[in-house]
Amino acid sequence: MATPVLEVHNLGRAVTQDGRVKSIVDDISYNFFPDKIYTIIGPSGSGKSSLLRLLNRLDEPTSGEVVFHGKDHCDYPPCELRQKIGYLFQTPYLFEGTVRDNLLYATKNLSDESIKLLLEQAQLKPEQLDRPTDNFSGGEKQRVAIARLLATCPEVVLLDEPTSALDPSYTEAIEKLIVDIVAKGKLTAIVVTHSPEQALRIGKEALLMVDGKLVETGEINQVINEPQSELGKLYKQRQLK
Amino acid sequence: MSTPGFLEVGISLILVVIAVVIARYWRIPVEKDMALGSVRAFVQLVAVGYALEVIFDLQSPWLILLALAVMIIVGAHAAAGRVKDVKRPFVITVTAMTVGSLVTIAVMILTRIISFEARYVIPLAGMIIGNSMNASALTASRLTTDLKDNRLAIESALALGKGWRVASKKYIRNSATAGMMSMLNFMKTVGIVALPGAMTGMILAGAEPLDAVLFQIVVAYMLLSAVTITSVMAVELTIRRFFTRCHQLQHDV
Ligand SMILES: Nc1ncnc2c1ncn2[C@@H]1O[C@H](COP(=O)(O)OP(=O)(O)OP(=O)(O)O)[C@@H](O)[C@H]1O
Ligand SMILES: [Mg+2]
Repeated sequence: MATPVLEVHNLGRAVTQDGRVKSIVDDISYNFFPDKIYTIIGPSGSGKSSLLRLLNRLDEPTSGEVVFHGKDHCDYPPCELRQKIGYLFQTPYLFEGTVRDNLLYATKNLSDESIKLLLEQAQLKPEQLDRPTDNFSGGEKQRVAIARLLATCPEVVLLDEPTSALDPSYTEAIEKLIVDIVAKGKLTAIVVTHSPEQALRIGKEALLMVDGKLVETGEINQVINEPQSELGKLYKQRQLK
Repeated sequence: MSTPGFLEVGISLILVVIAVVIARYWRIPVEKDMALGSVRAFVQLVAVGYALEVIFDLQSPWLILLALAVMIIVGAHAAAGRVKDVKRPFVITVTAMTVGSLVTIAVMILTRIISFEARYVIPLAGMIIGNSMNASALTASRLTTDLKDNRLAIESALALGKGWRVASKKYIRNSATAGMMSMLNFMKTVGIVALPGAMTGMILAGAEPLDAVLFQIVVAYMLLSAVTITSVMAVELTIRRFFTRCHQLQHDV
């Protein structure tokens, strides 16, 4: 069996809010294997984004550990680690300037060849390269953010609700884009979505989070339709309503 | 003409009365603040006047340092009150102001532009500390608001593997500039639009205009140095509260 690219052991993050300690990611353990798409589903506020932030080390865990290629997260310089485990935010933020500026911001000295490839991967047109991104549509902006994410050659990409900030008409194209990128490039995608339908369209493996805990894992259909845990069954009932 | 005495000060209360009457007529609810402010200004300034006389007469270097310390602490406390959203802002303002003021004063004394006497050090320090108080407050509060308002932009850069200094470069620059801006504007218009206080005071007290001008130029350079050092220090101290060593933007600072 292949070795996991990313391992999560008893990972937790607790925050103090109004003087009370709250566990927003609660004792999560899971292994992510290379070249696969994982989807994380769960109700709003269940800690999906918080988990991704821990994997990118934008936040510090309060317990447990993340292991990347067999080595503890903390043994990598944070900036190098983040280039290898890229994170796409729920709302795309583009830096001032053109598409090219955004790509070069991620990685200096990109060759023309690699820029061309990135545009292709993100399905952007070559003539868009030197256009300012201000008046791009939501879907185009997300593509630029995806191209920029790929510019650092990540091995794992964390996509936080990549279509939720977009007009529904772009959803399908972005979903296809993600599936294509993973199929072609050698990378692992962990996609957060609040929609089980989307999870069914793009992934095979699913993780269901409720209240910061990982309550179901496994094949996507089974996680959604035949949950084993109480919380998983509850989630299914709510989805059916 | 001689300088005004207590009698003339009493007569000049007419000006306060004029201001109060106007405010009342326009229904601007500030009469109380005006009256109180006038009394406060009188009491504080007279007290300072006597204190300075004592300090000048005693000629003790320790007394000079004590006076500087009191001025910096009071100024830093006022500046800290203007910095929201950061815990213990006093630590930031007092450190930035101390470094900015003391370095500048030390350079002036070591180069013998002024001698280490209360008559020179204290009034100049007053100007320096007043300006660095504003600089530290403006810089620190601008930086805290910018960092809080631009979380997504900063974390987008961090998530791409940029270090915190790169990710917040724009906000570092903008806030340091904000602290220095009034000084830079002052230097642009000085002498043309307004005659600065130090110079005006010297001329009123009977100095030759050219002497007063030369002195004012030194004052302007001195303030520029103090304000720049203070702003940069305030940035460095404030920003470290926001980022961890692992380049993470903190939630509570
Ligand atoms: N820094 C923080 N301080 C306090 N509470 C936080 C912090 N970050 C997240 N939370 C809380 O943790 C919980 C999980 O948030 P998170 O954003 O991870 O949920 P989510 O599953 O991504 O939700 P959504 O689907 O709405 O994006 C929420 O209740 C949120 O309010
Ligand atoms: Mg979320």
